[in-house]
Amino acid sequence: MHPTRLILFLWMFFSINSFAQEKFTLSGVITDGESGETLIGATVYVAEVAAGTTTNEYGFYSISLPANQPLKVEFSYIGFQNSERDITLTADQKLDIGMGEGIELAEVVVKANSYQEQLRSTEMSVEGITTKEVKTLPSVLGETDILKVIQLKPGIPSGGEGTTGLYVRGGGQDQNLIVLDEAIVYNPNHLFGFFSTFNTDAVKDLKLYKGGFPPQYGGRLSSVIDVKLKEGNNKRFSGAGGLGIISSRLTLEGPIEKDKSSFIVSGRRTYFDLITRQVNKANEGVEDNQPIPDYYFYDLNTKINFKLGEKDHLYLSGYFGRDQFGFNNETFNFGFNWGNVTSTARWNHQFNPKLFSNTTVTFSDYRYKISNEIVGFSFALDSKIRDVNLKTDFYQNLNSKNTLRYGASVTYHEFTVGRLKAGSDDGEISFSGGNEFDGVEYGLYISDDWEASPRLKVNGGLRLSGFSNDGTFYYGLEPRVAANYKVTNSFSLKGSYARMNQYVHLVSNSGLSLPTDVWYPSTKLVEPQISDQVAVGGSALFKLFGTEVFLTNEYFYKLLDKQIDFIDGAELFANDELEQEFVFGDGYAYGGEISLEKRTGDLTGWIGYTYSKIRRGNFFGPKGDVMEGRYFAPRYDRRHDISIVGMYKINERFRAGATWVYGSGDLSWLPSGRFTFQDVPGAEFQAVVPSYGDRNTFRLPAFHRLDLNLIIKLGLKKKRKNPNRRWESDLTLSVINAYDRRNAFFIFLDVDFAEGTDNDGNLIELPTGVTAKQVSLFPILPALTYNFKF
Amino acid sequence: MKFQYILPVIFLISIFGACNLTNDVDLELPEYDRQPVLECYLEPGQPYQLLLTRSFEFFAPFDTSDGQFLENVIEQGATINITHDGKTVTLVEGLFFNPFTQKIFNYGSPEIVPEDFDNAFELEVILADGNTITSKTTIPVKVPIDSVVIEFESDAATDTMARALTYFTDPDPNIENRFRRQFHWNSLVDSSAQQDFLATDQFADNGRIVFGTGFDYPVGDTIWNTVFNMNRDYADFYESVIISVQSNGNPFGQPASIDSNLGGTADALGIFTGLSYSREMTIIEK
Repeated sequence: MHPTRLILFLWMFFSINSFAQEKFTLSGVITDGESGETLIGATVYVAEVAAGTTTNEYGFYSISLPANQPLKVEFSYIGFQNSERDITLTADQKLDIGMGEGIELAEVVVKANSYQEQLRSTEMSVEGITTKEVKTLPSVLGETDILKVIQLKPGIPSGGEGTTGLYVRGGGQDQNLIVLDEAIVYNPNHLFGFFSTFNTDAVKDLKLYKGGFPPQYGGRLSSVIDVKLKEGNNKRFSGAGGLGIISSRLTLEGPIEKDKSSFIVSGRRTYFDLITRQVNKANEGVEDNQPIPDYYFYDLNTKINFKLGEKDHLYLSGYFGRDQFGFNNETFNFGFNWGNVTSTARWNHQFNPKLFSNTTVTFSDYRYKISNEIVGFSFALDSKIRDVNLKTDFYQNLNSKNTLRYGASVTYHEFTVGRLKAGSDDGEISFSGGNEFDGVEYGLYISDDWEASPRLKVNGGLRLSGFSNDGTFYYGLEPRVAANYKVTNSFSLKGSYARMNQYVHLVSNSGLSLPTDVWYPSTKLVEPQISDQVAVGGSALFKLFGTEVFLTNEYFYKLLDKQIDFIDGAELFANDELEQEFVFGDGYAYGGEISLEKRTGDLTGWIGYTYSKIRRGNFFGPKGDVMEGRYFAPRYDRRHDISIVGMYKINERFRAGATWVYGSGDLSWLPSGRFTFQDVPGAEFQAVVPSYGDRNTFRLPAFHRLDLNLIIKLGLKKKRKNPNRRWESDLTLSVINAYDRRNAFFIFLDVDFAEGTDNDGNLIELPTGVTAKQVSLFPILPALTYNFKF
Repeated sequence: MKFQYILPVIFLISIFGACNLTNDVDLELPEYDRQPVLECYLEPGQPYQLLLTRSFEFFAPFDTSDGQFLENVIEQGATINITHDGKTVTLVEGLFFNPFTQKIFNYGSPEIVPEDFDNAFELEVILADGNTITSKTTIPVKVPIDSVVIEFESDAATDTMARALTYFTDPDPNIENRFRRQFHWNSLVDSSAQQDFLATDQFADNGRIVFGTGFDYPVGDTIWNTVFNMNRDYADFYESVIISVQSNGNPFGQPASIDSNLGGTADALGIFTGLSYSREMTIIEK
C-alpha cells in the first residue's frame, strides 16, 4: 500500500473508532493500600462492556468507557481482595485505588481475573514471579534468589547447577537485557554466579520476556529481565530482615511525608570471611595448611520517591554492590573486586487522562579490578563498562481500541578493556596495556495495542536502533508483532515475531559466568548480533480434578546471525588485539514449552516442560575458524527440561515449598585422545597431553534434584492476643538436594600415577591409568534462616 | 593456568575439598582414531633428531609390562627427509638419547643443523602405511640475554635471599614476537622449571623486556635463566598444549584442539620448528 494511503486509512480507522460512541476516560494509579506501593499489572475490568486493561509498570491505567452509563469497575491483583467501584462517566475521571490485602477472602475471583487478563493479552512468552513465591520456595544456603526461581519456569534453563546464568531459548548468557529500575545491570552475579545481585527484600516485581518482545525493549537478542525495586512504604515506617548462615539482610522503609513521599534502604552482607579468618587463624602453623582466601559480598539498594502533585511523581533509586576477594601472606597481597553501580532518576507525568509519560536518566557501571603486590613489584588489571542513558516513553490511550506506546532512548557507553599496569617499585620495570572505546546507542520505537475485534488483539510496532563507534555506524529496523485470538472465554491462541539487534557483546570464553568477562562494543570488524524469533502458542483455563488450572503451550524458532565465538585457545585476558581472537557465525534454536499452573487453593505451583535444540556454526574470523565452520551444539543445548514446583499452606503456622527439576545433561568438551609430549631441553616430559576433538560431543549425565522448604511462623499467639502487633517472624528451613543426588557440575579425566625408578635408579612418577571423575556442587545441604518484619 | 581462572578454581577446590564431592564415574568417550605425533626441534649446532610416536585413546592402558608397549607407542618404519638449502638429510630409525638434556628421539642423523636464520627447512615423512607428514620452518634468531641482575631486599648482612631480574631486548618492535621464559634453580634436568611460560613483546618497556623472581634464592645457589625466541607456529602449538593440559579438570577453562603445523595425509599432531634460545647460569653472590 502506498504510504499516503496507509496514513489515510489509519486516520480514518482511528477516527471511526473514536467517534463511534461518546466515551470518557477513566484513569489513575493502583496501589497497595497498606504500603502505598504501586501495583504493576493490576487488572481493571468492566463486565458490562467487556472492556479491560492492566496497570503499566508504573501502576498507571487508562481505559475508555461509554459515557452516561452506570458501570461497575472491578480492580483486582494477585494476593489482594478485589475492589469494586460504581461509576457513571460524564467527563474524564481520575480514580486512584488503594487495594487491601485479603488473600483468603477473594482469592479465587482474583486469580480468575488474572487468568482472564492473560487470555486477553497479546503478551506471550512472558514469565513473572512474585517475591512471595520466591520466599516460599527453597533456596541455597537460605539465600532467596529471584533469578534462580525464574529458572524454574519453562524455557529458561540455567547455566549449570547453582548458577544464575540464563540461557533463554538458545541464547547465550550475554544476550539477556537485565534492567533494575530501568538501569542496565551488566553482571547480575555474586560469587561467580552462585548468587544474584538482586536482594529479594528490595524487589517488587520481576518480569522475564523470552520472546514477543515489546518494542520498548532492545539491545539484546534473547531475553529481557525487567526488575523493579520497591518504592518504600508511604503510610508507615516498617522493616524486614533476616539472619542466615552465610549472610544477613535488613530493609527499612517509611514515609518521608505520609502519602506523598517515601524511602527504602535495603542491604545485605555475607560473612564467609569472618568464618574463614577464624579457620585460618586456628590453622596457623599447621604443616601444609593452605589458608582459605578472604571473600565476601555486599549490596545496598536505596530508593526515594516524591509525589510532586496530582500529575507528577519523581523516583530516585540506586544500587551498589561489590564482591571482594583477598589473598595475602608475607610476600604478596592479592586483591580482586568486582561489582555494579546503578542509579535511576525517573519522572512520571500525566499530561491528561489519556497520556502518561515516563522519563528516565540512568547510570550503570560494572567493573572489576585485580591487583597484586609482591615484594618490590605491583600489578593491576581492570575492565569496565559505564553507561549514561536518557529515555522517554509515552503511553497514550488513543481510544477504546488502541493504546499507543512510543518513545526514544540514547545511551552513551564507555568501555575499558583489559587496562593493565605493572611495574617494579623502583621503576626499573614498567609496562601497560589495554584499550578504551566509547559508543552511542540509539533507540526509537512506536507500538499500538489494537483490539481489532472482541476476539482479536494485535500489538504491532517497530523499533529503529543504531550504534556509532569511532566513525562506524550501524542501524537496524526491528519489526515486532504479537497477536492474540480468543477462541472462547477460556482458550486463546497467540503468535509473535520479533527482530532484535545487539550492539554490545560479552567476551567470555567460559561456560560459566566470570567477573572477568568483559563487554565489548560493535566495531568495524565486530558487527551487531541479530536474532529473529517466531513463537506460536495457546493458553487455556480449565478445571482439572475440580480445581482451576491454567495451561500455556508455546513453540518457538529462532535464527541467530553475527554470533560471536572465539578461536580455540583464544587469549582474552590483557590482550590489546582482542578482536583478532573473535570468530563470527550464525545459529538457530527451536523448541516447545508447556506449563500447567495452579494458583488457587492451599496448594499452588506449576509443572513445566521444555524441549529445545540449539546449533551454532559457520564461525570464521581473522585468525581462523571453529571446526572448519561446521555446526555444533553449545554446552547449554539441553534437550529436555522439567520443573515441578509446589507451595502448600499447611495451616496458619506452617507453609511448605518444594521443587523438583530434571534436565538432560549439559554438553561437555572432553578429550578423546592423549599423547606424550617430550618438549624442549630444560622442560619436563609430559606423560599425558589431552587431545580434544570436536566441541561439546559428550553429554553429562542427566540432572535432577529435589529441594524442600518449610516456613514456621513464630509469635502467632501474641498476634492473636494483640491483632495490632506488627512484629512478625518466621524460621525458614531449606533442604537443598534432599535425596543427595550427586549431579555433575563438571567431569574431568584424571591420570593416576605411581612411583617408579628410571634407568639410573632415580624416583620418577609413572602414569598407570585414567579414571573419569565427576565433581558435584551440592551434597544434601540444609540451611536455617530467621526472618522478621515489622 | 590462565590467570582469570585462578580464583574460581581456588574457591571451588576449597568447597570440594571440604565436602568430598568428587567421585569416579564410568563414561564412554567419542570414538577416537589414533594419530601420529611428531616433535622435531632444529637447534643449530645439534644433530638432526626427531621423535615420532602415536597418540592413544584416552582410556587406553599404560601397562609397560606388555612387550608390545614400545611398539604401540613408537611409530616405526617411517622414511624421513629434511631438506635445507638444496641439501636433503635422511633421518634413520634408532634410539638417540642425550644424557645432558635427558631427551630421547627415535629418528636421527649425525648431520648437524646449520646456523641459518634465513632459509627454510622442509620436512617430508612417509609413514609405513603410506600416509605422509609435511611441514616447513625456519630457525628464529637468537635473542641474547642482556643481563641477569641479582638483587637483595636490603644491604644487611643477614639478608641472604635474592631475586634475579633477567633483561633482554625485543629483536623487532614492529612485529609481534613471542618468547618462552624458563627459570631453573639448582638443576636444569633433575627438577622442573621454577618458571616456564609464554610471553609476548606486549610487555616490552622501550624495547626492553624483563622477567623477575621473588626474593627466594639463597647465596651460593645456582640459577639458570633461559629465553627462547619462538616461531609463531611453535608458540601456537605450545600454547595449545598448555591449554589442553590445564583445561582438563577446570570447569572455567575452555579447551583447545592441538594447533600443529603439520600437513600431509596422516592427520598428525605435533611441531616441526627451529629452536633458538639463550641460557645463562648464575651463582647467587652478595
